[in-house]
Amino acid sequence: MKISLNWLKEYVDVKVPDDELTRLIGARLVEVEGVIDETHKYDKIKVVKVETAEKIPGTHLTLCQINDGGEELVQVVCGAPNVRAGMLAAWIAPGAIVPASVHEDAPFVIGKRKMLGKYDSNGMLAGADELDFGGDHSGIVEIDPEIAKPGDLLADVFNLNDLILEIENKSLTHRPDCFGIIGFAREVAGILGVKFSEPIFPPAGLEFSSTSYAGTPREPSLRDEPLGSGRNIRVENSNHGTLREKQISENSNIKIAITDSEICPRYTCAEVKVAQAVVEEKYLTKMRVLIAKSGMQSVSRIVDITNYLMLLTGQPLHAFDRDKFVAVGQTENPKIIVRAARPGEKLVLLDGKEVICNENDILITSNDVPVALAGAMGGANTEIDEGTKNVLIESATFSLYNLRKTQMAHGIFSEAITRFTKGVPASETYNVLAEAVRQMNAEPVDLNDAWPGYHGGTVVKITTDEINGLLGTDYSKDLIVRTLENVGFGITSTGDAAGGTPAARSREASTVGEAAAAGPVEQLVIESPIWRTDIHIKEDIIEEVGRLLGYENIQLSLPLHGTANRDEIFEFKHEVRDLLAKFGTNEVLTYSFVSEKLLEKAGLKKSNSYKIVNSISPDLQLVRQTLVPSLLDKAYLNIKLPVDKFAIFEMNKVYQKDLGFDDEEVPVEKINLGFVVAERKNSETAFYKAKKYLDLLLKHFGVNVSYVPLKNHSPMAQPFESKRSAEVVLENGEVLGVVGEFKNSVKNDFKLGDYTAGFEIDLELLCKNKAHHKNINFIKKEMRDLTIKTAKTYGEIAKRVHEVICENGYEAEIMPGAIYQPEGASEKNMTLHLEFTKFDEKIMPILENL
Amino acid sequence: MQDVERLKQELNQLNAEYVKIKDIPPEERAEFGRKMNEKKQEILAQIAAAEKAAIDAAVEPLDITAWSGTNEALPEFYTAEMGSKHPLMTELDRVIDIYQLMGFDVVESRQLDDEFHMFDSLNFPKGHPARDGYDTFRTEEGLIPPAHTSTMQHRVLKKYKNNLASGKPIAVVVPGRVFRNEDVDATHEHTFYQCEGVYVSETCAMSDMLGILREFFEKYYEQKLNIRTQPGYFPFTEPSLEFMIEKPKSLGGKKGDYLEMLGCGMIHPNVLKMAGIDPEKYHGFAWGGGIDRLVMLRYGLKDVRLFESGNLNFLREF
Repeated sequence: MKISLNWLKEYVDVKVPDDELTRLIGARLVEVEGVIDETHKYDKIKVVKVETAEKIPGTHLTLCQINDGGEELVQVVCGAPNVRAGMLAAWIAPGAIVPASVHEDAPFVIGKRKMLGKYDSNGMLAGADELDFGGDHSGIVEIDPEIAKPGDLLADVFNLNDLILEIENKSLTHRPDCFGIIGFAREVAGILGVKFSEPIFPPAGLEFSSTSYAGTPREPSLRDEPLGSGRNIRVENSNHGTLREKQISENSNIKIAITDSEICPRYTCAEVKVAQAVVEEKYLTKMRVLIAKSGMQSVSRIVDITNYLMLLTGQPLHAFDRDKFVAVGQTENPKIIVRAARPGEKLVLLDGKEVICNENDILITSNDVPVALAGAMGGANTEIDEGTKNVLIESATFSLYNLRKTQMAHGIFSEAITRFTKGVPASETYNVLAEAVRQMNAEPVDLNDAWPGYHGGTVVKITTDEINGLLGTDYSKDLIVRTLENVGFGITSTGDAAGGTPAARSREASTVGEAAAAGPVEQLVIESPIWRTDIHIKEDIIEEVGRLLGYENIQLSLPLHGTANRDEIFEFKHEVRDLLAKFGTNEVLTYSFVSEKLLEKAGLKKSNSYKIVNSISPDLQLVRQTLVPSLLDKAYLNIKLPVDKFAIFEMNKVYQKDLGFDDEEVPVEKINLGFVVAERKNSETAFYKAKKYLDLLLKHFGVNVSYVPLKNHSPMAQPFESKRSAEVVLENGEVLGVVGEFKNSVKNDFKLGDYTAGFEIDLELLCKNKAHHKNINFIKKEMRDLTIKTAKTYGEIAKRVHEVICENGYEAEIMPGAIYQPEGASEKNMTLHLEFTKFDEKIMPILENL
Repeated sequence: MQDVERLKQELNQLNAEYVKIKDIPPEERAEFGRKMNEKKQEILAQIAAAEKAAIDAAVEPLDITAWSGTNEALPEFYTAEMGSKHPLMTELDRVIDIYQLMGFDVVESRQLDDEFHMFDSLNFPKGHPARDGYDTFRTEEGLIPPAHTSTMQHRVLKKYKNNLASGKPIAVVVPGRVFRNEDVDATHEHTFYQCEGVYVSETCAMSDMLGILREFFEKYYEQKLNIRTQPGYFPFTEPSLEFMIEKPKSLGGKKGDYLEMLGCGMIHPNVLKMAGIDPEKYHGFAWGGGIDRLVMLRYGLKDVRLFESGNLNFLREF
């Protein structure tokens, strides 16, 4: 949304500089995404009078002498068909920038030039598009002589030296009242600490024709009710409320039926006669300028008025051709039925596109025939055109939930639906409608208003202590009351005010019980204004006070409390990260979503992955089951870079459909550690490098495992080659994970060389099994090497040696040595390094004879 | 390989049978062609599987209990200077350390959650437009890879509510990976990290929240900072704020250059109520902000995509 500060200032008296105003709006109302500086956009653009205008024969051009208020006339060649002597026009003087190009990379500077080789042309007479007032290129703008004279600066006449705030709509999701200049101005008044005076809409004097308007005569006070008549309908003034509580008038010729008041809380409709519905304004109007500044396009007089009023009040309006409306419904008088769409129902909209409705859409129908997709766009069958004489103007509110779905289903993001999806309050429809009728200068014919009426605002009871308590402030009661009243809240107080406003809340004595013991508690009874549909609970009131008085005025404090508990898995990951990085490996993070292709390459079943239905691309469609496939992908990337040798690891969460759901009915979650080592040039066996890193980790955390042949069919094991991989099994028999080399097909598919290996383990399981203490045995060790000729595996030999040492009452740690197999021999020579902590030379012969 | 040979022969026979198509009535040809093609695809798939199996079968087993290959040297660890920790993870550790010093427990966020935790338990009315602001991914089952760490608020409140009965506050931070359906560019990632904070006690106030947050950022950036707030809107906090810091001079900031660091606010009474905490008695505040941005600012990084790139030329800088 764009907010013109000049327009804003028409409704609130601002005494602070613009940059301070912008800062305050940003700090206390909404997120200001940007500020468009238009203070010099219309420099050197003047109102001029075209004194003479002569057609240049054989061309579409006109040679003009213009009066810019100076001594001499200036010659300009103009190509517009509507240029004529006597008119006031907007002249972009030589050296000035064409306003529409101000924000382009290369702004267009107007100069003097010779046209057709002989006519000097100084500057240009501007069209609306060049002035950035909309796309109309049909001619130059004409300026009303009532409001300007030659030589006036265009910027002064139309108040164009302006700052435009770009508002982040998301930060106002709950504030439909701020989606109009008046509501925005009311908040600004509150922030500046001044009382807002509500504009009176429509001014007294407008009356629906008493002969044709057959409804109940309205109370005079209704016609000059302020826009957003919260003031009239407060508790202390509730008699006005009852005036509104009238049902659909049976006497009106406009019949309105709403099938479900949930989808349409209020529908107000007026029928008017217009002299001509589609008419170009002769003069450039202030309304057109404001519509452009707010980021919308001028369309035609009636549509412009409805848009202008929406920008001003936040209440969208829609105009139907009345005669087409009754023709479509085959009725004599308008019979409006507002109902939910039937699935599959079709309607061609004003933009020519046909929508196929679903049951969440709301339709405005003429005697059940659709004429508008409510809140989103009118239908082509009731469009206003040159022949339109009678107009139905709709001013209504709809369910924001339904319209949100309509918005999503049909991709309609108009200014109107943006407002409706914030929940436009039902209070404004009549006032804005009446103002529209007045501005259209139309003859009112009939009116009806389907609304159960206003039953008062939300009443919240709260104490100043509660407000100060939650904010950590010590605002006085008077300040709080004044602040809330400035933006339209009605306040009465109860209880004993003796002793004045309690000072800063004492943290120790802030409970309700203790406060009550100190004396009667003064409660503020606060009623929300009619336009504030977002006020429900105490906290909403507290937000108003905190926000309007400025969160920046809160004194910061730090609460004191106990010590924190360490999070085991978080600390554990920290330790793993430190350890692995210290030994030259690299931590990576990869996406949690993977492609079907990646799973296929790694040999995993895609059916075991949760599938994202609205993924960004097929590459990110499946929730990963394990980490290693992602690491293989990154290994290829790094080999290609090229990085000659590396080991990468990731600790992250994975999900497998097979694992089902946990107690909270959400998928079981695993935290894994994946590890992949790869080298470009290494002819040795990669398996042992991966295993060495895994052993490092296991030793560090004091976890004993055995490596057994891989027969695991878990997703984790899929990319691994069973003949060159091992299952990692804890002493209690639980499988911790898998370590090994990858299948040839996996290496091929990931384009990885032979020296590639890795492991994947369940990190939580490792954490759970880590040793909680470590015995440091700092004594002299006896070192011996033992070489055995054998056809057995290293594991079998080491186990046997260990057994023999223990059986004989000695202690030793076995460290690996070389494994050597002479060419042609069937047995290997295996060397073990033995580090004895309990030793006698007698053991060596026993071992050597094994 | 024998299987492959046999299958290839079958395929050849099948191709030969295609010739028969001209002998059958035209109206049956389409059906014939379809069936033949089905068979052909089946055989091709079998050939591919058999070839894959043959490739995979051509390996030598190794001694999985050994420490090195036969006649190979014992493998060695890479050198320390080759190693690196992921910058997002080390910084997240630092963030958590600071909060732990302030007495906050840590609970890690989930990466696949449900509508209840992501929205319902956070006071988002069903079908409310505020749900759109989060650009959430969804799975076929309607599960949600969370778009914010607030998805853990309800769990944390429930898990720690016994603290309150014994007079202690709830003070927890929740780091975690979150996801948004966003187009990726230098400043947007669909996958990023956030850290959430939750605090509940009988007496806490907004002044405490702002105090804690300023303290955190000053500790993190190791200097005094100017802070600013602006009103925000989140259904799960009331009042809601955006918290900003003035970009530190040492990091190239100019005066008045404010950066939005996180969203925060006083926990909505409905959120407390839903977790079984009496909102009349207890108040709380919560906040959540991105870690990636914090780290980018600290290191002067310009491209958020590097974090998940796996590119070692980048990662080995850390």
